[in-house]
Amino acid sequence: MLLKILNALITVGVGVAAAVVLYWVLNKLAELLPGRWEDRIKPFLYILPAYAALVFYLVYPAVQTLVFSFANAQSTEWVGLDNYTKLLQSSGFQDTLFNTLLWMAVVPVFTVVLGLAMAVLADRLSPMWESTSKTIIFLPMAISAVGAGTVWGLIYNYRPQGREQIGLQNAIVTALGFDPIVWLQTTEFHLNSFFLMIMLLWAQAGFSMVLLSAAVKGVPEDTLEAARIDGANERAIFFRVVVPQIWGSVITVYVTTLIGVMKIFDIVYVMTNGGFNTNVIGNQFFNELFTNFNNGAAAAIVVLLMIATVPIMWYQVRNFRREESMA
Amino acid sequence: MRLTATRRRAAFAATAAALALTTTGCLGSSDDGGGGSAGGSDDGVVDILATTDPLVFDGLKSKIEEMADEAGIKVNVQRVDNINQLILTKIQANDAPDIAVIPQPGVIKQIVDRGKAVEITDDIVPADLLSDMTPGTLEAGQIDGKQYGMMISMNVKSLVFYNKQAWDKAGYKAPESLDDLAALGDQIKSDGGTPWCFGIESGAATGWPVTDWFEDLIMRYGGADGYNSWVTHETPFDSDLVKQAADFMEKNVLADGDVPGGRGSISSVAFGDAEDTMWDDKPGCWMLKQGNFIVSADFIPQDVVDNVDERIGVFGFPPAEAGGENPVLGGGDLATLLQDNADAKAVMKMLANVDIGTTAAPDSSFISPHTGFDTSLYPSDLTRQIADVAYKSDAVLFDGSDAMPGEVGAGTFWKEMTAWISEQEDLDTALKNIDDSWPAS
Amino acid sequence: MTSTQTTPAAATPTSKTRKRAASREGQPQKAGWFARIVVFILCFLWIVPVLGLLLTSFRPRDDANESGWWTLFWTPSAWGRMTFDNYSTAIDKGGLGEAFVNSLAITLPATFIPVLVAAFAAYAFTFMDFPGRNFLFLAVVSLLVVPNYIAFVPILRIYGDLQIAGTFPAVWLAHIGFGMSLAIYILRNYMATLPKSLIESAKIDGASHFQTFFRLVLPMSVPALAAFAIFQFLWVWNDLLVALIFIGPGDNAPITVALRNNLMGQAGSGQNLITAGGFLSMVLPIAVFLAMQRFFVRGLTAGAVKG
Repeated sequence: MLLKILNALITVGVGVAAAVVLYWVLNKLAELLPGRWEDRIKPFLYILPAYAALVFYLVYPAVQTLVFSFANAQSTEWVGLDNYTKLLQSSGFQDTLFNTLLWMAVVPVFTVVLGLAMAVLADRLSPMWESTSKTIIFLPMAISAVGAGTVWGLIYNYRPQGREQIGLQNAIVTALGFDPIVWLQTTEFHLNSFFLMIMLLWAQAGFSMVLLSAAVKGVPEDTLEAARIDGANERAIFFRVVVPQIWGSVITVYVTTLIGVMKIFDIVYVMTNGGFNTNVIGNQFFNELFTNFNNGAAAAIVVLLMIATVPIMWYQVRNFRREESMA
Repeated sequence: MRLTATRRRAAFAATAAALALTTTGCLGSSDDGGGGSAGGSDDGVVDILATTDPLVFDGLKSKIEEMADEAGIKVNVQRVDNINQLILTKIQANDAPDIAVIPQPGVIKQIVDRGKAVEITDDIVPADLLSDMTPGTLEAGQIDGKQYGMMISMNVKSLVFYNKQAWDKAGYKAPESLDDLAALGDQIKSDGGTPWCFGIESGAATGWPVTDWFEDLIMRYGGADGYNSWVTHETPFDSDLVKQAADFMEKNVLADGDVPGGRGSISSVAFGDAEDTMWDDKPGCWMLKQGNFIVSADFIPQDVVDNVDERIGVFGFPPAEAGGENPVLGGGDLATLLQDNADAKAVMKMLANVDIGTTAAPDSSFISPHTGFDTSLYPSDLTRQIADVAYKSDAVLFDGSDAMPGEVGAGTFWKEMTAWISEQEDLDTALKNIDDSWPAS
Repeated sequence: MTSTQTTPAAATPTSKTRKRAASREGQPQKAGWFARIVVFILCFLWIVPVLGLLLTSFRPRDDANESGWWTLFWTPSAWGRMTFDNYSTAIDKGGLGEAFVNSLAITLPATFIPVLVAAFAAYAFTFMDFPGRNFLFLAVVSLLVVPNYIAFVPILRIYGDLQIAGTFPAVWLAHIGFGMSLAIYILRNYMATLPKSLIESAKIDGASHFQTFFRLVLPMSVPALAAFAIFQFLWVWNDLLVALIFIGPGDNAPITVALRNNLMGQAGSGQNLITAGGFLSMVLPIAVFLAMQRFFVRGLTAGAVKG
């Protein structure tokens, strides 16, 4: 056991050192080249290790997935576009698509707003309270998906009227004199989907808070002081000075949460497995792959997901252009 | 044993820590067979991956290790929580264990379809070892007439549990036919009670307890043949047979006053919570139809489990006609041979031994599929009664939803029946939706 | 929604005194009642579910099944029944002691190595000019959406050929690959906010890219590096699927795999043990977060710029 700990620690040290040496060697190699070539080759050497990992672990499987999406469940025969047409024609998938869009519309925005609120407001508390409050918001991130399912089971649990409720929400509702509600099966206005979203929000707010907090702390004092000397009030400072400077981080958080939501599956899988019209694309994909063993259908879903990121990339391209024109 | 090996290695590695780093094999302890993911190829260790209940698993594991030790074979027995999802991934990646113990014939069929299972022929497991198997349990492991799965542990599902003390005081009798059962429900209602404890909420698997109800009723109305033709979808869901079963439920289980909280509450009550009020002196509901696994402190209050023979009564779900064909719904863990090597075959033979369950039986819910098993090893009269329900039946028919394709058996069958129970859909729509989801083969 | 309400007339004198105080303490402005209340409400909402988990983990199963955890606050008799049984069972049956060490052995290397590798790539994408730069970066972004489970079968097959399935390096490498796109994305977007003029002037002073990276950009990126390191740590620590596929149950299994495979029964039994086990597995990540908080202090980046 001790050996394992020792090994882990040494690996961290040696691993990081090896990585540094690797880059040093790559750098030296580039410097051996004549000046013009050095500048041309060096960037590629810098991204080479990262790209090697990406190509092996994601690009290669993704390409294989693309190929599989045109084949049958066991990937033994070509079926053309069958997987896609079947998917898009099924009415269940259209509901799934709508639910996923709902998640995409709601969760990223609230994640950013909550994280930003915590980052800015906690910043004004005394260091002790700042640390405490941030730790509390961060706590859920340390809970695994299975644990989160148990936690929220204690909130959403339902028991028939007349029995003591062990779910917090129904305990409150019945204490107020109403009938207990089956939260996760209430399909009106997709309420049950929203209850699942709250779980993700609860789990993800820490992510947004940490990144935005780092950005807020990085806003140079002098720009704030300059604004104050100009007589701007705090609200104006926040919107005209702070927000523009951390906008890049806001977008980063928004896009990563958005993409994370597009493939969300664990919360839905653990709580309802898509029942009562809560299904999302990620959950359907997971079930096609691991319950129905249908490689073709699962692959087609992933390809659709990848296509759906095109608008996000288009936005990124525009951002680059703006950055470059500013630089 | 493992400890000393680790220590010795620690002493060695401490002097050569830097070396140990580069030779990655040393970084994880890969002695005694390493992790369960070690491929079952030619490493001289028979890897067994199972998903049986933790207590049953511990008992089986110690016996398997003991028997293998005597035979001089190294085994590495591991448990995973959900083998159904893991095993096919491993098989597709050529990383399969030597033997997988799988509770779903549907998954075994997927493996056979991909040509990755080894048929359990007579020269691997001699027929006389299996001659005392409960009727139906061998067929459960057959794909297209060939034996691929061999049951080593059995579950019995055609059971109705009740609160023994209250039951005896009220003077109720175990029913002999479905009509008796219906009459008993009416009597309980007229005595001011609620006949059924019924909940089907189960997180990701919500709806599965309904499928057990349907299976039990269909095998009673249609007999073993009708049941099997329904499981293979020769008889569709949208058929008279299935509707007859639904009709029984609507009249006797889903009608007003049949369950606490009414029909609308069934889909939201956790299956493990349904019987919580059954153990009160004045039971909140009187009967629970459930598999034998439910008799555990995980689901039933500790003081009831501690006095199991005084507190819990059980009867077999009755046949359609008194004295008529009496099939029993069951399940079980099927050992499947995935690698063709001598040691693995020898271990398969051990698994067929009637004594494989002797260490598991006293401390767990283990029930042997062998009728020749020493029933005095079971921990309670209740377990003996449950085993008898299966041993004395005409045939144990395997849980149909586990044999159907995943899209149906772990998908629409659960979901559509939940929608029907909670009255979001009418029966015809639900049945048609299930039929539509059956994958074209 | 985020500022205290100060009227412009009153703002002038107070904001000056505040400014002085602020520059000393490194805080822009003291919190008003609004900030305090919002933070308090959020913290309350966020901690209630965790509190439920904590209290439930000490309750016997029958108790947890009969009454809500909050009833503990007004039924002192129930306190007497609280017990460490769930914890001791989880640790014994789950083999959590060894699993804890395994988790550590998996998580530490899988956290530090990708951070460095990604930082180099992010530097190249931010401060170096080369053909195809935007395209290559966009490829990274689009890979964010690829669920890592599509990689399980092809990668496991290769691992099988290399005979490394079931070992720690198998998961380290997998987590490096799966975490890379997000790491590059976050770090590159952070580095883009660093003042470009500074890097230009370093270049004019004759610093090489290698030097600029280690002496200037890396120290200035500490908050983002620390933030990503925390996330990567958590994801790897809480990861179930990757560990289950590439390591599986047995001697090398981490906490998540051990919890699931040793404690949870077929029909979802063992929930009470999951609360205890879940809490145990939370302790270390929280400690790491507390330790890392000192990297999120104002002025750290500014100091690096000046130095």
